[in-house]
Amino acid sequence: MTSLAPPGPRPTFWRSQRGRRFVYQAIATAGLLLLLAWFVSRALTLDLSLDFMEQRTGFAISNQWLTDFSSDDSRWMAYATGVFNTVRLAVVGILLATLLGVVMGVARLSGNWLVAKIATVYVETIRNTPLLVQIVFWYTVVFLELPRISRGVDLLDTIFISNRGLALPWPQERGAGTLLLIWLAIAAVAAVTAWWIRRRRLIEESETGRTRHPNAVAAGVFLLISAVGYLATGLPFGIDVPELVTIGNTQSYDGGITITPEFAALLVALVVYTGSFITEIVRGSIQALPRGQGEAAAALGLTSYQRMTLVILPQALRTMIPAVTNQYLNLTKNSSLAVAIGYSEFFSLSQTIVNNAGHAVPLFTVIILTYMALNLVISAIMNWFNRRVQLARI
Amino acid sequence: MAAHTATRPPAPRTVAYARRWAHQNLFNGVGNTVLTVGVSALLVFLVFQLLSFVLTSAEWDVIQTNRRLLAVGRFPQAEEWRLWPPIWTLGALIGLSYGHWSRIDRLGYAVLAVVLVFSFTVLFEGQNALLMALAVLIGASGYVAMRVMPEGSSLEPKVGRALIAGWLLLLPLTVLLLLVADGVRTTLWGGIFLNVMLATVGIALGFPVGVLMALGRTSSLPVIRIPATLYIELVRAGPLIAWLFLARFVLLDFMPPILALDQLDIVVRAMLVLAGFTGAYVAEIVRGGLQGLPRGQSEAAQAVGLNSFQTMTLIVLPQALRNVIPALVGQFISLWKDTTLVFGLGLVDLLGAGEAAYAQLDFIGTQAEVLVFVALMFWSIAFAMSRLSARLETRLGIGER
Repeated sequence: MTSLAPPGPRPTFWRSQRGRRFVYQAIATAGLLLLLAWFVSRALTLDLSLDFMEQRTGFAISNQWLTDFSSDDSRWMAYATGVFNTVRLAVVGILLATLLGVVMGVARLSGNWLVAKIATVYVETIRNTPLLVQIVFWYTVVFLELPRISRGVDLLDTIFISNRGLALPWPQERGAGTLLLIWLAIAAVAAVTAWWIRRRRLIEESETGRTRHPNAVAAGVFLLISAVGYLATGLPFGIDVPELVTIGNTQSYDGGITITPEFAALLVALVVYTGSFITEIVRGSIQALPRGQGEAAAALGLTSYQRMTLVILPQALRTMIPAVTNQYLNLTKNSSLAVAIGYSEFFSLSQTIVNNAGHAVPLFTVIILTYMALNLVISAIMNWFNRRVQLARI
Repeated sequence: MAAHTATRPPAPRTVAYARRWAHQNLFNGVGNTVLTVGVSALLVFLVFQLLSFVLTSAEWDVIQTNRRLLAVGRFPQAEEWRLWPPIWTLGALIGLSYGHWSRIDRLGYAVLAVVLVFSFTVLFEGQNALLMALAVLIGASGYVAMRVMPEGSSLEPKVGRALIAGWLLLLPLTVLLLLVADGVRTTLWGGIFLNVMLATVGIALGFPVGVLMALGRTSSLPVIRIPATLYIELVRAGPLIAWLFLARFVLLDFMPPILALDQLDIVVRAMLVLAGFTGAYVAEIVRGGLQGLPRGQSEAAQAVGLNSFQTMTLIVLPQALRNVIPALVGQFISLWKDTTLVFGLGLVDLLGAGEAAYAQLDFIGTQAEVLVFVALMFWSIAFAMSRLSARLETRLGIGER
């Protein structure tokens, strides 16, 4: 076993593996540098400054959240308003899509034939239809076809529904804002305390075997502390109930919070669409579990609801997180389809800005960076969650 | 539960069987019974609503009147003949391929019947119905020819190769026929025809990009690996509509002034963006296939003396691609649905044509009819492809070896 190959002449540099790697990389580097030089030389002919973003916006934004934007504010303010609108849509959308996906994923495997078939039809219909068609459908066929505001639905003078949107009661701060901040701090302390009590009680339960009602006690503690804090800080906020007001010939909703038809249509479409993909992920993860898990739980006498929530879903959660994270990213990116129905998230606002002011290249760079930042935030949260779940005791 | 039913002897399909089945699958326990009754009530209500919409309250005139707009948009009528040879060829290829690689089962015939009845009552009329009937006839004779060919005939492998070549040549020849001799400018393409062209060109150009990027990302040379990784991650970070926005406002500024590349029209630019976007996703799929392949495959190939190019093209890629066919079809379905996003570029695709149709004075208030029709068109093609993908998966035994 001393000489495997006859000791021929050493290959020249150009024929050796090292030589070839060198040549390939040299060619690739040259090509990339050329490409880069071309792009830079072209980019230099364009006006890349973002100064135009500091000028007056010149248009109003109909959907607002956490901001008080007027058309005299700078374009950066408009952009920020848009980012807030995207975040609001994405957060609510992700929560609801997850809920829908889990329910439908479980329904897909239900022993009830009818329920399983309906879930299958839901997935196969929604998944194979373009999201944009669905968004336009929800907007023009459902939400804009609701009755006019004068003939709108009025539930007990607190909730109003019409083609102007859905008006709901909403908390509204009263008096000094500092008191509200103090109350929020108290509520945060209450939440941490309640969490700690729940943990303690869970541990006691598993050590002694006696029922200690962790969830009920924790919820009670949280409500008690925050209610006392609410009274002590002098009722820092109240519930603002919307009203239907008539000024001249025009009617509108005043107070509370109004969910616009654009937001509603986009939200419902995104939730239903993304939910169908999450359904399939949930089904796949449940089916990937060894059958013995469900059978053992049944043998222990757990009801089918307990079996699902205590044994099967917690374990399936671990395999589904990476795929579900991908769907969350998709939902966030798909919110850009708002441009089709005029919901003011940052992409459609950017398009309006470019139509008004030009400068597509620098703004386009900002848009892509914003999406990257949003993606990174979602991935970071989901990675944190993933680590927690993988370490959790069952 | 499944094991429990499996041990029973197969029951005859009688009333008793139906009762037992209903008892086991719909009414086992109080909870399930309540669920079944509630869901049935809801279902009956929905189906009733849907049927009363489709059959009585809906006014389908808007579709009948705007057939041409929905099919081809502003495509000039005098040039319509250019569309038929590709459709006939497509019919022949589908018929021959089905006959060669598969067979139509009972369900297949039922679906085919529904599609044909729908096509010839709703979609095609007059001369177009005749021309389409010719395509169906060509497809049917192709299928029959393949079925009557004796098993194990010496022609069989040749037919397979010819069919693959036919599928690969269909798109370039179609584009050629559309454009040669004062053909139809791409900006005049529209309707569902535009969606089909965008999707097929997008995947045809995007697939090679994806394979190259996947090879680049798995390369051991950093100068190749890092740019490929950057490209894939950058493209996947933004939504497609943002990249189309790039096609509209930015792309031309960065095109070199050779071969009139800096004067590409908006449809071609959209195709390039769709291809680049699809390429990034295809790259990740192909990379999955490459990484899923046991190392022994490439080691064995090197041991028998293949060089690295041969190892890649003869051993590694064919197996890796075969394993990811279902995922590639999935990506194609997603591209097919995403072609609707060209609305932002002012193009009149099927959805845009639909919106134009219900904006007409005569048809105000027919959004529901139009959108249901548009959704049905997109859905039927996407659903057919997803069935095809599931079939391929079982045929190729993916995940079983």
